[in-house]
Amino acid sequence: MDTTDFGRFSDPALLILASLAGGEKHGYGMMEDIEAMTGVHLGPGTLYGALSRLEQSGLIEALPADERRRPYKLTTRGNAYLRQSLTSLGNFVSIGLQRLEA
Amino acid sequence: MRMDRVGAWLTSLYPRAWRERYGAEFDILLEQCLHSPLDALDVLLGAVDAHLQLLNGEDLTWRMLNMLNKLRTTILLVFTAFIGFIVAGFSLVGLADDSPMIPLMKTNPALAAAWTTIQIGSVVALMAVVIGGFPLALTVVRRALSGERRGLGLLMVPVVSFLAVMLFLGFVFLVGSGRIHVPGVDPVVQPGTFPAGNRLMLEGLMLVFILGAFASTLAVWKVISRTDSEQETFHAVGRNLTVKIYRFAFVPAVIATLTMLVMLVATVSWGWLSFSALPQVFAGNFGPWGTSTQAWFISIIVVMAVCTAMAFFGVQRGRPRQTGR
Repeated sequence: MDTTDFGRFSDPALLILASLAGGEKHGYGMMEDIEAMTGVHLGPGTLYGALSRLEQSGLIEALPADERRRPYKLTTRGNAYLRQSLTSLGNFVSIGLQRLEA
Repeated sequence: MRMDRVGAWLTSLYPRAWRERYGAEFDILLEQCLHSPLDALDVLLGAVDAHLQLLNGEDLTWRMLNMLNKLRTTILLVFTAFIGFIVAGFSLVGLADDSPMIPLMKTNPALAAAWTTIQIGSVVALMAVVIGGFPLALTVVRRALSGERRGLGLLMVPVVSFLAVMLFLGFVFLVGSGRIHVPGVDPVVQPGTFPAGNRLMLEGLMLVFILGAFASTLAVWKVISRTDSEQETFHAVGRNLTVKIYRFAFVPAVIATLTMLVMLVATVSWGWLSFSALPQVFAGNFGPWGTSTQAWFISIIVVMAVCTAMAFFGVQRGRPRQTGR
């Protein structure tokens, strides 16, 4: 089993938020970063489907376009949401590991 | 079929409003990463998803953002058209000033009415632009003076341009009042004469004004393009007032556009009446840099017509629609 494959937890929105936590990025930058970080390849359609929803919910914000590429950044709300999601995920991982060791 | 063509075709499957919001950046992404049939399938599914969102009314942000982009473009187009129109209008005033058309207007009511329409129109259009653009200007200045100092350098361009025109005007005033002597410039111009030095000075003033207007418009365009917020809250008379800055500017933009059309018609009428009464004036070379009066007047009309068309295009683009599909 590939240990970097998050399987059903490879939520594209969460991956995008985690990528943007490292600094503002445009679409291709996010795809590369997510692939390097988790080994998950997000397709362009999936990426932009998630991006539009994240923008709607105010978790990310579009920055002025750099030539034709538009970078995005995490908003304060996005930061809080990511922190909460990762904490929940961390608790889940911790409980899972404890049960395996028991 | 080449992959970039496949990408363009796949993007065309998305709803129009989605493409207007994300299309440009999505095309760039596809140029870089559309390598396999699986990626193409992913884009295809993304298009289906975007249509489903639209049908369900689930995620309409890009429709709203698209409308914001359209409104911003409308405001920028009308503003630029207005500046171009004003430059042409000043050229018209320069052409008519000290010409035989001025005394003729005292005896020709139709000519006087056309001129008065142009003057009233210029005040109405200016008021519309100032009122409509006020919240936007405040927002831009607020951003520039905030911690980010966003666009502060660009905002200095109109300030420096205005100061340059004012300095030049001050210089012209000092020369005209005889406090400064410039060789070749006559402070007291006799009727029927216009020394070459005086003409050169006025043409210099016109050049500084046109260059300043051009540079300022570019700078303001750039600053406003970066202003993404849809609304801004202002504190006035002890109350918080939230204004949708681009939506607020739309009605004044329509008024400015219609006024430009009225002024264009009035200018054509004024030119036609003047030409009918004094054809010899139009046959001369009273334009700047000794150019033909007739050619200069036609150039003014062409600039005004192009600016009016640009403003109409902008208003048409930004008018509210029922659906973004």
